Amino acid sequence: MSFQRYLVRRLLLTLPLLLGITVVAFLIANAVPADPINANLPPNQLNNETIVRAFREKWGLDKPPVEQYFVYLGNLLRGDMGRSIKSGEPVLADIAKYLPATIELSTVGIVLGMSLGIFFGVVSAVWRNSPVDYVVRFLSLIGVSFPIFLLALLGLTILHAELRLLPGPGRLGFTASEPPTVTGLFVVDSLLASDFDTLRDALRRLILPGFVLALYLSGIIARITRSSLLEVLGQDYMRTARAKGLNERNVILRHGLSNALIPVVTVIGLMYGNLLVGSVLIERIFAWPGIGQYMFRASTSQDFPAIMGVSMLIAFIYVVVNFVVDLLYYFIDPRIRLA
Amino acid sequence: MKQARQWFTGLLLLILALLLSAIGATAQDEQVVVIGHAESTDSLDPARGYTGTTAIVHRAIYETLVTFPDADASAIEPRLATSWTISEDGLVYTFTLNPAAVFSDGSPVEASDVVFSFNRLKNVQGNPSFLADPIASIEAPDAGTVVITLSAIRPSFLAELTNNAFSVSNAEVVQANGGTDAADAATADAAGAWLDANSAGSGPYILEEWDKTVRTVLVRNPNYYGEAPFFDRVIIANIPESAAQKIALESGEIDVALEITADQVGDMESNADISLFKSPGLAVHFIIMNQDESIGGPVSNPLVQRAIRLALDYSGYLDLWGGVTPGSNLAVGLLGAYSSLDGTAVTRDLDAARALLAEAGYPDGFEITLEYPDFTWQGVNMNTNAQKIQADLAEVGITVTLQPGELQVALERYRAGEAGFGYWFWGPDILDPLDLLAFLPGGKVATERAKWLTENASADLLDLINQASLATEATARVEIFGQLQRYMQENAPFAPFVQPDLTVATRASVAGYVWHPQWALDVALLSRAG
Amino acid sequence: MVLAGLLVVVFWLAMLLLAPLLAPYDPLAQNVRNRLQPPGALHSMGTDELGRDIFSRILHGTLVTLPAGLAVIAFGALIGIVVGALAGYYGGLLDDLLMRITELFMAFPTIILAMALAAALGPSIQNAVLALVIVWWPAYARIVRGLVLDVKHRDYVEAARSAGAGDFYILSRTILPNCLAPALILATLDVGNAILTFAGLSFLGLGSAPEVPEWGRMVSIAIDFFDQWWMWLYPGAVIASLVMAFNFIGDGLRDLLDPRLRGK
Repeated sequence: MSFQRYLVRRLLLTLPLLLGITVVAFLIANAVPADPINANLPPNQLNNETIVRAFREKWGLDKPPVEQYFVYLGNLLRGDMGRSIKSGEPVLADIAKYLPATIELSTVGIVLGMSLGIFFGVVSAVWRNSPVDYVVRFLSLIGVSFPIFLLALLGLTILHAELRLLPGPGRLGFTASEPPTVTGLFVVDSLLASDFDTLRDALRRLILPGFVLALYLSGIIARITRSSLLEVLGQDYMRTARAKGLNERNVILRHGLSNALIPVVTVIGLMYGNLLVGSVLIERIFAWPGIGQYMFRASTSQDFPAIMGVSMLIAFIYVVVNFVVDLLYYFIDPRIRLA
Repeated sequence: MKQARQWFTGLLLLILALLLSAIGATAQDEQVVVIGHAESTDSLDPARGYTGTTAIVHRAIYETLVTFPDADASAIEPRLATSWTISEDGLVYTFTLNPAAVFSDGSPVEASDVVFSFNRLKNVQGNPSFLADPIASIEAPDAGTVVITLSAIRPSFLAELTNNAFSVSNAEVVQANGGTDAADAATADAAGAWLDANSAGSGPYILEEWDKTVRTVLVRNPNYYGEAPFFDRVIIANIPESAAQKIALESGEIDVALEITADQVGDMESNADISLFKSPGLAVHFIIMNQDESIGGPVSNPLVQRAIRLALDYSGYLDLWGGVTPGSNLAVGLLGAYSSLDGTAVTRDLDAARALLAEAGYPDGFEITLEYPDFTWQGVNMNTNAQKIQADLAEVGITVTLQPGELQVALERYRAGEAGFGYWFWGPDILDPLDLLAFLPGGKVATERAKWLTENASADLLDLINQASLATEATARVEIFGQLQRYMQENAPFAPFVQPDLTVATRASVAGYVWHPQWALDVALLSRAG
Repeated sequence: MVLAGLLVVVFWLAMLLLAPLLAPYDPLAQNVRNRLQPPGALHSMGTDELGRDIFSRILHGTLVTLPAGLAVIAFGALIGIVVGALAGYYGGLLDDLLMRITELFMAFPTIILAMALAAALGPSIQNAVLALVIVWWPAYARIVRGLVLDVKHRDYVEAARSAGAGDFYILSRTILPNCLAPALILATLDVGNAILTFAGLSFLGLGSAPEVPEWGRMVSIAIDFFDQWWMWLYPGAVIASLVMAFNFIGDGLRDLLDPRLRGK
């Protein structure tokens, strides 16, 4: 199959999925028995005829539900997700404001988590059934079994409150001001602005939540790396490589790991959900102003435009990530090209 | 492999450097004070905001015509107005403005600004707008004189003018940003969002930033005409949990922790770096029951309301938070307030409560949902109190389901009187016994939130309320308010149960902290020793 | 390890049944004069902000968390097996449709869906479980579909079909019994994860009411009482121990049943 044909096929499968996501989000928001006007407008605007009428018209509220959905879809395609009740800002603007904090934290979490996870997974597989293996397996089991909020609280108590090694909650210290927004990632923005005090503060504050997230992810990654490397190590081509007299380390790193990483990469794509669960909980404990906190506040204050916006965004990202993973497969897995 | 080792060494060095940099403090050119606080801001627009945090912020960025002394409410002092006269009939107040007063943009504070601000407060129909109700008209005969005419005699009017809702804002600037004081301001005024991000006042500070639920930043007003405050920059960091405030204070990340709980005090008393300030708080925590049967259900019944007052374990709440048990919704500390201090508060009597429930037709109790905000106010965790209410009422057979809500959501329902059975707290609007009238028929809380309406009130009660609103002589007022409080202990849709003490902690190096019953904290008074 | 895991799970199952007998105190009984006591002779795990005995609350908490986790798996697996079996067996359009729906639900992460549902329906244990079930079933649907595809052309199935058996009979008597074992392994591996996610939701306040002795909720309330470490450490550690036990069992089962990982 040519790449173009494969691409088109995947795209054709993805589009209905995206559409389906908008339907589900619409259904959730309309599952509320409440009046949509009450659910979507701030209370002080409810008595304002003009605003209420404009709102009805814009979202087609006088029309039957199916038509309402299409009005909603139309607005969405124009990039209009409505206005958050709580913040009063367009949902899209809010997302743009809160998402970078989550991206920054997750990036640190994923990079650290993958490094730790793959390293320990390899160690554990290579020295299989040795004491090292047992220790690593036990630790990774702790990683996947410990509630992330417990890890976060332990980290805060020991490293921040008791030992004073690391700063407390928050993305920046209370006295630091945000660097001028370019990417929204404080580390990048402060570097661009050559504001090294802020850079240092931002980095220091990433350490603890980043590590907690990384510990959680690395447990899963180490377990997968181990089992997938073990599987690969038993394959014929590995025996061949060994038979050719290559030393063991080269065999494992060159041949074994590169093959073993395929399922690891896939799983990282699927781990998106875990990553998000982790982020939401960590953001809550570390007062991290990310999309998880935004969604949490939206859900406690019944801010439906924001809830719909974020759910859709998250689902869209999931679909796109998996689309990209699918495309990567085309290059990794020869069977697709031959099909 | 060699590369990998180098890379790893590099990473280790980086982490080490970061940890080391954590120890070295950064030099500060400007004087900054960081205040840890559980933010409750609903709006920073003086005509719309009406919460504890709003009062703190407005005290710093706006000014009122008159004010109180720094530490108490014992006298009325000049602020924007240098002097004032009251007409013989007590209805016309004439204020002379300070000619030196200027807004943060350098333009003078004129009578027209006062007229605009007060009319806007009235017409915007925001949460504090009721404070402007006594005003019949307001005029500016010249740039330095303001004449306010009341619709009825109001002994507490000057005290009310100290409220941050009567902040004077720069009319030109507010109008340029969509503001209006016209009769249709409730819908036509569009300055709310601008005023949430900027200030247009004459106070010692200006608002630099309000990042909702993160922090509020104030910077020195370069054009301030009064005595310059010590700190260049004031940061009010939103730290909702008292536990987190304590840790941040101990580590020096913040200079002031506004919400310290009673059980944290012991640990901090021994810390030489920390000063503790304990004051009698003014917030009364109370249960509110809706008189409208379709909303309140069983708790709309006055017998049930009385039973609930008798069922609460008052001494238990004192064990939790310290403070006093208020005898009514009149905050202890205000003239004539009943309280546990002199034995005039309600005390627990479970048998009497059960008997009343049986009399009301609920011998086996009933089920009800308690709505309250998931919030910590001045170190008092409302979730804790709600669980105690639940346990207290379980003893007389009332099964309570707890329904904590997000603060602003719960607040809207409470203010609209949509909740049947709620738990809230109340800090006085006015530091005067007249504040109690809010909880009596015709008053805001009774009418809007508890649906206790004048048409259902007895003629005797209405007469008493009327007397209370007009009396000026102290002993007569004590007598009348005493009668009102006794009445409320028998018949009222409220069950006040604790007025907790208030504990604030600061770094020992911070000087000038004073708690004020009206605005809680005046940041302009803070300074740093050494 | 499997044995250790089994022991712990059996221990907690025993707790589930015996909690009311073993708990030294009523989990709801308050005593404000005795609040925030560190672990000691009278209260082995200390007391909370209202003077309730934490040990008793943890014991009773088993009654909430464990059934919730098991319910998620049971309902998730049930829906997943039905959907997967139908898709795999009938194939064609039905298969396409069901699988697209499956993918659709996989796109919404648990926590987001749970928060959205809590907003729409109000926070409660039932709604938290519902939210988890909605995101849990797709994984089972996918696996079972694959297994059914694998099995449906085997001889014994063809035999049943040529004997004139109906679809329902074939599915329930010949195909599904051969797919259940892998689904059950997945389920065991998954219980820990389900408990963990449920605890996360209650930690956010999307589950039980504040007074209910639920482990995740206990930790979230304890955040306001950070210094009183016993308030969050014990319930947190208990969640970890139960989840770890289930993971031990799951790992053990997989090692036993997955020949590729057995031996050298």
